Amino acid sequence: MNKWILALSMLLLCMSSWLAYAKEYKLILKDHLFYPAEIKVPANKKLRLLIENQDDTPEEFDSFDLNREKVLYPGRTSVIYIGPLSPGRYDFFGEFSPNTARGTVVATEVNDADN
Amino acid sequence: MLITSLLMSINQLLPVVILAVLLSLIVPLSQRQLSIYAVIGTLMSLVFVQAAAWVSQLFDHRGLEFIQMLLCIMIFVAALMSCQQRKMAAALALIATMTLYLSHYMIYLVSFWHSKDTAEPLILGTCLGVGICISFGVLLFFLLESIVRRAGVQPLVVLLALNATAKLLIFLDLASQVDLLDVTSNYLDWRGFLVENSELGRVLKALVGYEATPSKTAIWVYVIAAVIFIALARVLKIKKTEEPVCGS
Repeated sequence: MNKWILALSMLLLCMSSWLAYAKEYKLILKDHLFYPAEIKVPANKKLRLLIENQDDTPEEFDSFDLNREKVLYPGRTSVIYIGPLSPGRYDFFGEFSPNTARGTVVATEVNDADN
Repeated sequence: MLITSLLMSINQLLPVVILAVLLSLIVPLSQRQLSIYAVIGTLMSLVFVQAAAWVSQLFDHRGLEFIQMLLCIMIFVAALMSCQQRKMAAALALIATMTLYLSHYMIYLVSFWHSKDTAEPLILGTCLGVGICISFGVLLFFLLESIVRRAGVQPLVVLLALNATAKLLIFLDLASQVDLLDVTSNYLDWRGFLVENSELGRVLKALVGYEATPSKTAIWVYVIAAVIFIALARVLKIKKTEEPVCGS
């Protein structure tokens, strides 16, 4: 039994270090608006979006361009992995407040990206 | 708020209605059975909504995706088993689909219910959305029933295969979202042909899982899984004794 726990722990440790390679970007949802509304990211890299919902209502992060959909619960942080992305603009929005909660991920070549 | 409620209700209810129509024609399900499954599905969605905020924080904020991925696999397998006319499998597929889709809409409903400004358009949008989905479901039922009369149940099995395989695309997107699979490179772009948020795009998404920007991995998975589904459905049907299929 102990061997299994040890093996599982090692696996999780390996996975954590592997996941750590994705660069992290923080996004805040407040008053049904995403801050920042535009995120510049390097193209062809895997990225980790950390989204904190500071509103008192849930929101759903949605993006047809990125094929991503996730409910953001009030007062909680959510994680979404995206990329590697080709250079270009990728729109996202809050499905519950699509008129206000809007944003764009701009993927540019590494040299031009705002790291 | 009215348009958002309408679109939200259509997006989340249409996949449930389509699967219910398909299963009710492939598996002989009575209205009473469908009603019971609908009640259980609604209750499961409520349980899911209650637990979702807590679950979302598990496994490094990936708990919700793991549950949703499990539901997608359950829908695929249960839909396949339904081809053997197993009522329990059909019930499982329907309840899992309701849990997957309705929970999203319930979160939306519960969140904006309390506000005076939003309650009215919320109810109106929901009623319109439910009406559109039911109308679509009735028309689809009669269309598919006439197809069954003319061509047998096989076209429905193909449609069910595409519908169930679409859940595997959701599985792939969720797995990619939590970094379990790398399927984001090599996208195809069909947005010039048909965008997902158009009327037809939404219907095709609910019916056969249309995506405007699918990855090549997703296309391969879709084709292979659909072919396997259709082949296995034929095998399962042969194994079962000659029990009449509704309408054939």
